[in-house]
Amino acid sequence: MPNSATQFFAGLGVLGVFAGTMGALLGIGGGLIIIPILTLVYGVPIHQAIGTSLCCIIATSSGAAANYVEHRLSNIRLGMTLELATTVGAVAGALVAAALHREALAILFAVMLCYAGGTMVRRSLKASATEPEATASYTIRRWPLGMIGSGVAGVVSGLLGIGGGPIKVPIMYLVMGVPFKVATATSNFMIGVTAAASAFIYYSRGDVQLLLTAPTAIGVYVGASLGTHIMRRTPSRWLIRLFSAIMFYFAIMMVWKALRGGFAG
Amino acid sequence: MSEPGVPGTAAGAVQPSSRRLDMDALVGYILLDGVLLSMALVVAGLFWHWLKTGHLVLDYQISGMNLFQLVGTEIREAVFGQLRPRLLVNLGIAVLMLTPFLRVVASVVYFVAFLRNWKYSLFTTFVLSVLTYSLFLRS
Repeated sequence: MPNSATQFFAGLGVLGVFAGTMGALLGIGGGLIIIPILTLVYGVPIHQAIGTSLCCIIATSSGAAANYVEHRLSNIRLGMTLELATTVGAVAGALVAAALHREALAILFAVMLCYAGGTMVRRSLKASATEPEATASYTIRRWPLGMIGSGVAGVVSGLLGIGGGPIKVPIMYLVMGVPFKVATATSNFMIGVTAAASAFIYYSRGDVQLLLTAPTAIGVYVGASLGTHIMRRTPSRWLIRLFSAIMFYFAIMMVWKALRGGFAG
Repeated sequence: MSEPGVPGTAAGAVQPSSRRLDMDALVGYILLDGVLLSMALVVAGLFWHWLKTGHLVLDYQISGMNLFQLVGTEIREAVFGQLRPRLLVNLGIAVLMLTPFLRVVASVVYFVAFLRNWKYSLFTTFVLSVLTYSLFLRS
């Protein structure tokens, strides 16, 4: 852990800005970035890292969704329907998380990242030239599969504190036929509620620490505002590649840490 | 804020009335106001703490209370003249966590009272009940 208090505070703020930008850009809420850094660099126990991350996801989601909803990029009816499955999953996940083994959580996290990342890369290489932009009209397909996927995303969110975005975005984009930008904007809209359902539970356990959450959340909000502006100006195929790259990178980090002897705290 | 009643947008369905405040605008306002209020409280609390102590580290742990119990305790302390910077930061985080909750409450009201869309009224009410359940959980 960095020695000086100011350094500590500033570090968390910068982490927040980065996570918020990425979260708003890709619909992943930033938990993917916050949890590994808090556990690997700051040595925070994983349950507290998750508690902090859940609060930050709410900040990213609220900050970014306000913008995306205003620009009608989020499909809020799709979001509200998928929320049915995802909130139930989120509560269930948060309830069993405290009983689970930390290394098992980390490996589960990594497996999930690799799967989503691999699918996205394949898709981005196949269809990069003809990727539909957000304004294209689309028909939503395979609702039942989408609902099941959202339920799983909810459980994973409650377990791992990532808001479920890394699962919801691929589900909407790959399975339900939603354009990538609409998928990320809708995910941003939903993950606030998914994260809130688990956050209340982590909070009551004392796993939301002001020391960590306050500076990180401020940074995240600033980052989310930045991310929304960048997202609306960036071609979808670049966002898809960035999304996949981030997934693989953190999968490797989590596995490496778990194999090296687990998490501090 | 946004032009009302743009048909065939991401929302998938044309809103029945273009005069009323639409769903997207309402949701946008709630999310934005919630997160701005929360950030203002956190920043004000941290600034005050910094003025008092000269550093920004808040070493304080909450445990074994649900959100309402905690806010209740904090407000009692505030009423009895023990208003501390920590309280503001804590309230800020509480507001943050309650923002999505409020958004769901607003969408229930909107679907039930304004759109009279029973399918979505049912969906949002279900989500609201799950969220409310998690709000009162203590483990």
